[in-house]
Amino acid sequence: MIYIKRIFVFIMFILGLAGLLVGSSYIFLPKSNGLNSGMEEFKANGILGEKENSIDVLFLGDSEIYCSVIPLQIWQSSGYTSYVCGTSGQTLDYTEVMLKRTFEKQSPKIVVMETNAIYRKFTVKNVIFTKVSDYFSVFRYHNRWKTMSIDEINKPAEYTFTDESKGYRLKTGIKPAVKDNSYMSPTDKILPIEKINRQSVERIKKLCDENGAKLIFFSTPSTKNWNYMRHNGIEALAKELKCEYIDLNLLTKEVPVDWKNDTVDKGDHMNYFGAKKVTSYLSEYLENTGLLADKRNDSDYKTWNEAAEEFNKNCPNKI
Amino acid sequence: MFSIATYFSVEALLLLLVTVALYVCLPQKARRYVLLISSYVFFFSISGKLLVFLLFSTLSVHHIGLWLSDVQNECSIRTKGLEREERKALNAEYNKKQRKIMAFACILHIGLLLLLKYTPFFSQNINALFGLLGLQLRIPVPKFLIPIGISFYTLQAVAYLFDVYRKKIPADRNLLRLALFMSFFPQIMEGPICRYSDTAEALYEAPKMHYGNFVLGSQRMLFGLMKKLVIADRLNLLIQNVYGEPNKYDGFVIALGAVGYTFQLYADFSGTMDLVIGTAQMFGIKLPENFKRPFFSATISEFWKRWHITLGTWFKDYIFFPVSMSKPMKKLTTKARKKLGNRYGPLIAGSVSLFCVWFCNGLWHGAGWNYIFFGMYHFVLILSGNIIEPVVIKITQKLKINRSAFPYRCVQIVRTFILVCFGEMFFRQESLKQGFKMFGKIFTDFTFKTLKDGLLFEFGMDRQDYLIIIVSAVLLFIIGILQEKGIEIRASIAKRNIAVQFAVYYALILFIVVFGAYGAGYVPLDPIYAGF
Amino acid sequence: MDERLLEILEDINPEVDFESCTTLIDDHLLDSLSIISLVAEIEEEFDITIPTVEIIPENFNSAEKLWEMITRLSEED
Repeated sequence: MIYIKRIFVFIMFILGLAGLLVGSSYIFLPKSNGLNSGMEEFKANGILGEKENSIDVLFLGDSEIYCSVIPLQIWQSSGYTSYVCGTSGQTLDYTEVMLKRTFEKQSPKIVVMETNAIYRKFTVKNVIFTKVSDYFSVFRYHNRWKTMSIDEINKPAEYTFTDESKGYRLKTGIKPAVKDNSYMSPTDKILPIEKINRQSVERIKKLCDENGAKLIFFSTPSTKNWNYMRHNGIEALAKELKCEYIDLNLLTKEVPVDWKNDTVDKGDHMNYFGAKKVTSYLSEYLENTGLLADKRNDSDYKTWNEAAEEFNKNCPNKI
Repeated sequence: MFSIATYFSVEALLLLLVTVALYVCLPQKARRYVLLISSYVFFFSISGKLLVFLLFSTLSVHHIGLWLSDVQNECSIRTKGLEREERKALNAEYNKKQRKIMAFACILHIGLLLLLKYTPFFSQNINALFGLLGLQLRIPVPKFLIPIGISFYTLQAVAYLFDVYRKKIPADRNLLRLALFMSFFPQIMEGPICRYSDTAEALYEAPKMHYGNFVLGSQRMLFGLMKKLVIADRLNLLIQNVYGEPNKYDGFVIALGAVGYTFQLYADFSGTMDLVIGTAQMFGIKLPENFKRPFFSATISEFWKRWHITLGTWFKDYIFFPVSMSKPMKKLTTKARKKLGNRYGPLIAGSVSLFCVWFCNGLWHGAGWNYIFFGMYHFVLILSGNIIEPVVIKITQKLKINRSAFPYRCVQIVRTFILVCFGEMFFRQESLKQGFKMFGKIFTDFTFKTLKDGLLFEFGMDRQDYLIIIVSAVLLFIIGILQEKGIEIRASIAKRNIAVQFAVYYALILFIVVFGAYGAGYVPLDPIYAGF
Repeated sequence: MDERLLEILEDINPEVDFESCTTLIDDHLLDSLSIISLVAEIEEEFDITIPTVEIIPENFNSAEKLWEMITRLSEED
């Protein structure tokens, strides 16, 4: 009898705790998706504020992607809408989160995944934390106690923020790379991909298939992060999953990166000038897929033209 | 894939849950194996193959213990019925043999610890010496992987052997019991350093899990989690900044860093101890306490009886008294007492032993001049405290100050706290030179300008962070006062009705969930003592 | 109980009532240095040797326990 009572008490305790966590999650959930509302990774999550089913191409990855792909340049040259959901140091579990969030409101035809994140180590712990935070967002947003005001507690969440450069982060500094193209000296060796990372990529592929999106792997130029062993690893993975794979580190003719001028931090990330070259290649690539339609003259997408104009003003020289 | 960085990890929690579930379900005889297997899984998940070091130490301790016991038995059989003189001669012979065995055991265990932990340090310093002498000679600086907890379990092993040697305990024939004593997973990483006579029997018995123990243990674990997540991790950025580039900051910020680090160290270490002792309590096993409200200490020597207690008593039992009671030291004491009187007579032998203790204490924390300095700092403080004590008594008597009155004690407590903070500052700052620079800056470059220009909130902690730290400090202070008064807080909560209990637990959990320094923008602190 | 022992103890710490106190070590009334003194005094006064093994709280917590140890050691020797 005493055991039954104790088990009952224990279950009550857990239920009460779950209730409390749900309640506090509601309180701590950002009421909009901008920086001031306390949204995590607000630039990437600006996609939540975009109009429903308005994004054609989704870019995922870590800082490599948000430094090298300029959605508004793609818009101006091809008329496709795209968004960069890149976050610094992104691990695949968060890539999955971003992808799921996007598919809830958007139906991009193409999803481009930067490959540096595929090799980034993450642990079961990361996954569990991400999963738990999906259900109880108090774990993700608890630090908002510092900035919250009383009257926003009861407001329903409404995502209205959109990022003015669609997730791209403008970097105009120049620090020449130490290594030049020799960082891609050929080898047969393959850098193996951790099992947990692989499984995550497989889930991403499945999610894209289910939502009718084509998944493309993409390696942006980086002397610091990329080499031939990694190329081989991703190429093998792409073959297995039947995905296309673009490695700009090998396409030096198509995308002639000038390592003296096109990198912001000695070959790690592209600066604006490097990003322009990368983006114009991607733009052309997307055109060649024949999957997307030019929307520049569509009046529903007027805001994109305005955003592009605004963006051009902030750039060192016009596109 | 299963790897544990700290006790404060999801993996460790999973292991604990599995262990608890098995422990509850299985009969008594199987429970001890559950504990042993969990302990080895825990060790393996942190240190991998280095588990062989623990196994080696366990086997060797088992064997040497039996060896000592055989010698002792043989001695007592052979001396039976002998005349006093003969008996004495034979005893001496056997004692010599035992001492040889002990010397061998010490070389083996402490030697291994020294080899793994200190070779890089010694070889670096020898190379530096060669350099000073103008020699081209250099010896290689090796880098070893160090099995987790080796500093802690080695001390347990040595204590066990000394206790057998001194006939305080009989040698254990049961390898399983010894293995459990050496490896029990909650305490393997950061102590408390246990004695065989304290825990071995209880671990082997693996008592039934009681609801009461389960509740009290989980309460304590929660409280430990609070200290670690809310306080220690939150202070991390500030501490990293101040100690990383101390030249950038003025004396006020450095003093803040010194106090902050002392508080962080306390929150981290005592929080971990709450978790460890709470876990053990869940299984019905009582581990020795490591902390007793150290910041209420009136003197440095009292502080060390309240901070990392098990290390202090280890040094006292196995270094201080053996050294001060050795024959030459005893002779010295007798002589000195005749000349210097009862007060200062024993101080000579005492200070020699005290020096040994604090040198070892410093070195035990790590191979670095900062740690050795830390040890010497406390040696000097404790020794000078002893020397001037009679003078202080005289002065206070003349001035008619009541030494046991509350205000006097408060002054003492504040003074002791400040001295401790200085010590911990040198302890944290890897470079001794930087440490002295920081020390100097506190006195020469002390301004309140960061308070006025708001820069205080620029290097790691913002206004709200400071607020939470202060609130938590007040909370710990109140709990500390209640504990000093002998109130058993956890037991009295557990006695209340279920609604009150739930409310307290929920409040604590929510406090941790909301005010814990985890997630974006925070870097969790690696458990400090696991590195020693 | 031996008067000589009580004298030695009072000489070391006059503020303690050694006849009734049973927590000399546990309450830190005898610190490590006092123990060194105490052992030296006792060894001289009673002509015995106190080995390190005997330096444990159980033997030093009260005057009575101390006296027990002293008598035991003088018989053994």
